[in-house]
Amino acid sequence: MTIPAIHLAGVSRRFGALHAVRDVSFDVAAGERRAVLGPNGAGKTTLFNTICGDFPPTAGRIEFFGADITAAKPHHRTRMGIGRTYQTSLLFNGLSVLDNLFIAVRGLRPNRFSFLRPGRDDSGMQKARELAERMRLSHLLDSEVINLSHGQRRQLEVGMALAGDPRLLMLDEPAAGLSPGDRPELLRLLRELPRSLTLILIEHDMDIALPAADIVTVMKDGEVVVEATPDRIESDPVVQAIYLGGGH
Amino acid sequence: MHSRVLLWSALGLALLLVMPWLLLQALPQNQAQFWTANILGRGIVFGIIAMSLTFLATYGGFISLAQMMVAGVAGYTLAIFVDGAVPRIAGGLGYGLAIPLAILAATVMGLIVGAIAVRTRDIYLLMITLALAMGIFRFIETNIAWFNGYEGIRNVVGPDVFGFDFRNAYVFYYIALGTAGALYFGVLYLVRTPFGLVLQGIRDNPRRVAALGYAVGPHRIAAFGVAGFIAGCGGVLATIYNIGISPGSIGLGATVNVLIMSVIGGLGHPIGAFVGSLVFTFFDTFSASIYDRERFNTLIGVVFLVIVLLSPDGLLGAGARLRKMLGGRDAP
Ligand SMILES: Nc1ncnc2c1ncn2[C@@H]1O[C@H](COP(=O)(O)OP(=O)(O)OP(=O)(O)O)[C@@H](O)[C@H]1O
Ligand SMILES: [Mg+2]
Repeated sequence: MTIPAIHLAGVSRRFGALHAVRDVSFDVAAGERRAVLGPNGAGKTTLFNTICGDFPPTAGRIEFFGADITAAKPHHRTRMGIGRTYQTSLLFNGLSVLDNLFIAVRGLRPNRFSFLRPGRDDSGMQKARELAERMRLSHLLDSEVINLSHGQRRQLEVGMALAGDPRLLMLDEPAAGLSPGDRPELLRLLRELPRSLTLILIEHDMDIALPAADIVTVMKDGEVVVEATPDRIESDPVVQAIYLGGGH
Repeated sequence: MHSRVLLWSALGLALLLVMPWLLLQALPQNQAQFWTANILGRGIVFGIIAMSLTFLATYGGFISLAQMMVAGVAGYTLAIFVDGAVPRIAGGLGYGLAIPLAILAATVMGLIVGAIAVRTRDIYLLMITLALAMGIFRFIETNIAWFNGYEGIRNVVGPDVFGFDFRNAYVFYYIALGTAGALYFGVLYLVRTPFGLVLQGIRDNPRRVAALGYAVGPHRIAAFGVAGFIAGCGGVLATIYNIGISPGSIGLGATVNVLIMSVIGGLGHPIGAFVGSLVFTFFDTFSASIYDRERFNTLIGVVFLVIVLLSPDGLLGAGARLRKMLGGRDAP
């Protein structure tokens, strides 16, 4: 049996009395595309936070390609190959697109703390330019992020998550708030990602999540309630209850 | 934005380079000298100290009220160790050694302030830096053995620079201008380095910076060290300008003055420090002759209020808005 990209065993996360994620166990195979669905407050983002380390689990165990990362620091996980985007954009508003990407690239390298200005042929700068090109932001390299459109900010988020050449990419509602015009562009970018990349996608909108996913995990009240292939999801009685019947 | 600022900076620097000559054409010699040293030169020196505050504010989002105290650490170190100062505290060093030692001391003090304040932000940072500044001020004021108490240390006349006397108005002016120019362009360089970019990242989003693998604390402390270095250069020049240093020069009044200069100029860019300090020095000098000394605080207070009310981002922001109103399309 091959080692899964992500192995969750009894993962829980409490915030005081609130049990935001409760005893979640599932595997995501290498190269798989997994969608995580669920109503507001189901614990989807919190599950991401336990995997990327922003809020490590309060119980349970997380393995990344067989390595125990349950307690690892967020940037160690980034360096191991976990990249993520945030539901609400966490970009550096006062810096340019290129500088945002450069900071993301540079953070993974040993010479992070430096008082020397990178030259034009600096490998980190080159990498940042490549990422901008992949994210179709090359024409905006010197624009301050605060001046970007919502869709462009989403694209930049994905670019920053790719800075460490991750083996696992986690996207938290990448299409949320996008205008209908911006959506196809982002979806095309996501489809262009190499097939070798393992992808976990949180998405509210089934029309986006289902075509993109190999397997869908549905969460509610911090627990996994259904795990199935996309074609079985829409007809699943539990999912129908959550999405149509108000959650009971 | 960036290239325009560079252009304006270069123009401003060029103007300041020829100002002494222009003043000599327009005014009698003694007045021209007064303007050169006591208004422009002094303004530039305090601009350096104000820039240490603006640097932290613009790129890190930190408002530190400790910068005048840090400058004072350089001034006192110089006065304590340089030969010829009165009273002699330690002595034994020429200016060639005492000045680097003074700047080093300010840099270390900057690092210490940064380390103490490393976890605080906003109003708490303001309070903790103010408390540090006032604590050091009171300590110096009451310590006779090292700082000669409230009288301070006199007769720090400054070195001969390649055979030129520092006390000559023009020698002082061009040394101050050269130092300010080097520090200013140094700052512009620094903020394009990984250190400077990460500092701006910390300003915009410290959590994300940490998640990207950077150590936020050491970057913050280093930024305060850089600001300490800048303030130290200003402190050395100010001490030589004043021919000595006393606790009053790092007290609450002086601390607030540096903040006022920075805010008058604008915290959006380090050039604001010099705009603000020159405006401040101008009012400082002439209101004292128009009114009596007491009224100065009223006048500068009114100037401050008017500027802040009309333009919360200082004269720099007012300039940008004016350009916009006049139809400049590329105004930010
Ligand atoms: N840092 C935190 N501190 C306290 N409570 C939190 C924190 N983060 C999340 N929660 C709580 O945990 C629960 C799950 O939140 P989470 O953000 O994971 O839901 P979600 O499935 O991502 O919802 P949405 O679709 O609205 O993004 C919510 O009740 C939320 O209030
Ligand atoms: Mg969420």
